[in-house]
Amino acid sequence: MAIIEDQRPLELTTGHDPVAPEAPSPLGVFARPKANTGWRSWVNTVDHKKIGIMYGVASFFFLLVGGVEALLIRLQLSVPGNQLLSADLYNQVFTMHGVTMVFMVIMPMASAFANYLIPLQIGARDVSFPRMNALSLWIWLAGAIFFNSSWLLGGGANGGWFNYAPNAGVTFSPGTGIDFYAIGLLIMGIGSTVSAVNLTVTVLNMRAPGMTLMKMPVFTWMNFVVQVLLVFALPVITVALLLLTLDRMFGAAFFDASKGGDPFLWEHLFWIFGHPEVYIMVLPAFGMVSEIIPVFSRKPIFGYPFMVGSGIAIGFMGWGVWAHHMFASGMGQLSVLAFSLSTLFIAVPTGVKILNWMATMYGGRIKFTVPMLFSIGLVGMFTIGGLSGVTHAFAPADTQQTDTYYIVAHFHYVLFGGALLGMMGGLYFWWPKMFGHFLGERTGKWHFWLMLVGFNLTFGPMHILGLQGMMRRTFTYTSVQGFSMWNLVSTIGAFIIALSLLVFIGNVFFSYRKHRKNPVNPGADPWDARSLEWMIPSPTPEYNFAEIPVVEEFDEFWHRKYGHDENGRLVRIAKTEDVVESSDPVTVHLPSPSYWPLVLALGMPLVGYGLIFNLWWAVPGVILIVAGIYGWVMEPATDPDGGHGHDDHHDEPDEPDATELAAPETAEAELVSASAGSTGAITGEGDSQ
Amino acid sequence: MRNNRKSYVITGICLAIVLVLGYLLVINIGSPVGRPLTTLSPRGDKSQAIQNLIVPVFAIAGVVFILVEIGLVFVATRFRRRPDEVDGEGEPVQLHGNTKLELGWTIAPALLLAVLAVFNVNTILQMDDATDPLEVTVIGQQWWWEYRYDLDNDGAPDIITATEAAIPVGRDVRFKIQSNDVIHSFWIPALSGKMDAVPGRTHQVILQANEVGMFQGQCTEYCGLSHGLMRMQVKALTPEDYQIWLTAMTTSPAQPDPKNELAVQGQTLFVAQCSYCHQIDGVTPTSKSPYPYNTVPDPDYGKTVAITMASGNAPNLTHIMMRQHFVGGLLDLYEEGGSVAQAIPEGTPNTNNIKRWLRNPQDVKPMDPNNNQGMPNYNLSEAQIEQLTAYLLTLK
Repeated sequence: MAIIEDQRPLELTTGHDPVAPEAPSPLGVFARPKANTGWRSWVNTVDHKKIGIMYGVASFFFLLVGGVEALLIRLQLSVPGNQLLSADLYNQVFTMHGVTMVFMVIMPMASAFANYLIPLQIGARDVSFPRMNALSLWIWLAGAIFFNSSWLLGGGANGGWFNYAPNAGVTFSPGTGIDFYAIGLLIMGIGSTVSAVNLTVTVLNMRAPGMTLMKMPVFTWMNFVVQVLLVFALPVITVALLLLTLDRMFGAAFFDASKGGDPFLWEHLFWIFGHPEVYIMVLPAFGMVSEIIPVFSRKPIFGYPFMVGSGIAIGFMGWGVWAHHMFASGMGQLSVLAFSLSTLFIAVPTGVKILNWMATMYGGRIKFTVPMLFSIGLVGMFTIGGLSGVTHAFAPADTQQTDTYYIVAHFHYVLFGGALLGMMGGLYFWWPKMFGHFLGERTGKWHFWLMLVGFNLTFGPMHILGLQGMMRRTFTYTSVQGFSMWNLVSTIGAFIIALSLLVFIGNVFFSYRKHRKNPVNPGADPWDARSLEWMIPSPTPEYNFAEIPVVEEFDEFWHRKYGHDENGRLVRIAKTEDVVESSDPVTVHLPSPSYWPLVLALGMPLVGYGLIFNLWWAVPGVILIVAGIYGWVMEPATDPDGGHGHDDHHDEPDEPDATELAAPETAEAELVSASAGSTGAITGEGDSQ
Repeated sequence: MRNNRKSYVITGICLAIVLVLGYLLVINIGSPVGRPLTTLSPRGDKSQAIQNLIVPVFAIAGVVFILVEIGLVFVATRFRRRPDEVDGEGEPVQLHGNTKLELGWTIAPALLLAVLAVFNVNTILQMDDATDPLEVTVIGQQWWWEYRYDLDNDGAPDIITATEAAIPVGRDVRFKIQSNDVIHSFWIPALSGKMDAVPGRTHQVILQANEVGMFQGQCTEYCGLSHGLMRMQVKALTPEDYQIWLTAMTTSPAQPDPKNELAVQGQTLFVAQCSYCHQIDGVTPTSKSPYPYNTVPDPDYGKTVAITMASGNAPNLTHIMMRQHFVGGLLDLYEEGGSVAQAIPEGTPNTNNIKRWLRNPQDVKPMDPNNNQGMPNYNLSEAQIEQLTAYLLTLK
């Protein structure tokens, strides 16, 4: 392979003297990183694929952390009057479980897929701002570790993930747990905001030539909606968390009724963020399922405009329903009426998705691979979560159901039955693309069925418990309350879920070992799939596309392989081998690795510890942040001396000016743009026919 | 794919078994027996209105659920790839969508929901209807509930009690819900939906009990350490019994009989140890609190009942033995248990429960007295516990 640097974007985009951005002379360890292999290549990478994989690995680790917390909850509640956990510890465990699963599992796991796949699906070589991408990963990870370190430093947060004031104030929660909650989420929020801006710009600017918005894969569309939601939702929670921090650390009284504050302010701010957050968590999985079902049904997604439109509709309507979390809060009859009605109708676009998935399968030729099983599982399970959601859109009924286990059942059917099942399917589906080998199908089926059964055993009975009056967030119950039997069933189910995750871990381990012993490359297109990422070799080469494809249709790759006859039946028009990319890249220019995102991110938790314990600790944190920013600014986006460790690197004269002028790059532009890519595509053999 | 008669019969039998089991499950789930907090067995007019709204919704949701799941299984099995099928032969028709169909299944559920929304609005408006309601103020605190009855509407409560409220059957009751500290939620599922108690605000729940009974409740907004144990009861009495209850509650209990030495000693101990937080009408605290709730003692403490000091920091115990439960409804005060509502509880007091509480309150209900949350353990001697118990038993 020949990776050749032909451009120095800073030279042409900043308009400064071309000599100006020259790297500051290497200062010992701060020399520009060059490692292309080994752990260093992961630490300094700006490659969206490596970043995606790191998001995935870290979020899976936190899934295990949150899972252990879930098992502790279920063990505590398995029998009435259990003494396993104290009330205080239980309150910490359920709070940490909720926050971990939302902010450290579902969201980053979706980020993993979004980072890895969006550039591939839109035919780009990386995201718009690769160093910012690394920054968002490191900040999120630093925040997540910071948040969980509270277990070792005085106890976890104990205010519930919703953390209502004034219980979350220092008067009632004097420990440091809620400080870790506030600052941890603030830090992670910075990471998510950076990432959301980055991916939004990427989708808008980096699409391959010919790929209009309405030719984007549904997965990319759903993630695009999510990123836009994030851009608007995160500032709200950031404000709320900042006010909370001011309340707790500096004696402000935004939420303290006894000093003239208003606890309602927190409730509204939290849920204005919190409700879009639900869609932020579930839409990526909807996108994955919308990719997987067509592939294994051998039919295009049914009603693409409706699928995209309903996703956008959910995104919009998601802003007008937040107060349905507050039907019992006493906000007044008019508010209850308004939000009850808006909530009822958000069921419509979701229902459209369910029916369109089924219509996609209808008349197809369905292959029950593991990803397909997970996708069908999502359709079936999310239906339950959606329907129970409708039942508490009826506000009077919700005053009976809210804050009971009925709600716990509902949102686990949405977030586990929706988001997590979808992402598990996504893992099996894209695993060969990411790692160059399959996960075991047979083991995967065990994983799926165990998980499905365990999931329903765990959360199904919670509907019954809730309707029979079992309240949420209770550390115990007594035998006279009649909750004993279903709680025991639920606990058994939780351990079956745990078993299914062990099977998955085993699958990852053994399939890798098998691959090491006897490597069989799955090829570019192991599933006979539809979107652009399947055109390129597995595992994805560092440069993604040797030539940026020119897109003519939705499901471009599929249409290069198949046409249809007069009856609309599928007809193969080209061999897969002839369509997939095999050529070496002619002109590929990749962003250079950098330490600075990591340096910058490392400063943040130190500032957090400083705010909580002793402000002196914040000093090194601030120094790191400032140094990180300084180093970043002074470092050219592309290492003038860098060859990314490729031996065959050599300088070439600049491309013609026309190409450069076409580059719509800002000062941050760090990599080859779509235009540079398209040059390759235009000069190369751009089509397959 | 050909079915013979036998397989139809077998399918039919299986279906019948599933239906019967499902029916039994639904019946069992809805049964109130042994489920004091169930939402599915309304005993008041508001809870009945909620039930009338939601049962048809459950039914429709159930039908949609069954249709979707059956449809999913049908599509998945009917269109599964069969072993003899080869790629490239008889491939599926590439259907990209059907706008009419999709508009149909967008509009149809929207219409259905629009119809249901009418009933929804109707019920929401109905929840605040009340005619000549009895007003009871409810104050949530970590982790118990106080009730105040202002019978003469002079602004000062005439009855202050905790945990257990009494209401007359067949009359609307307006619970005015407040909080002294954090957000709680007042919920008697058999009678009505829940409502948050938010500091600085007064909310209301209106309910009416249709029958006599002891209705269990539970705080349902997470309120810290012992949230899970913050329970309450509403006992619905016949109007006659309710009058009896009112009379008893507005009459100060007699001073302990001088012959009952234990009780007299208990009273002295109570005044010294407990009265700073636990008010009893007519009892004035003599010592400074051993426990830093109030820094300045109220000069009128115990002489008059004023809103500012009425509850002190702990339940008012003037008529504790008029209740059937204590400790936030966790423990029974009488041997016979507290599931049958009585105007004036009869039976044998459960002294074991009282002593258990006095020995170490935090053993029964986790609390954090170091942060002014709940009752400290005074490490009372057994003799002191006997004295206090004897005194408390006189408070009826």
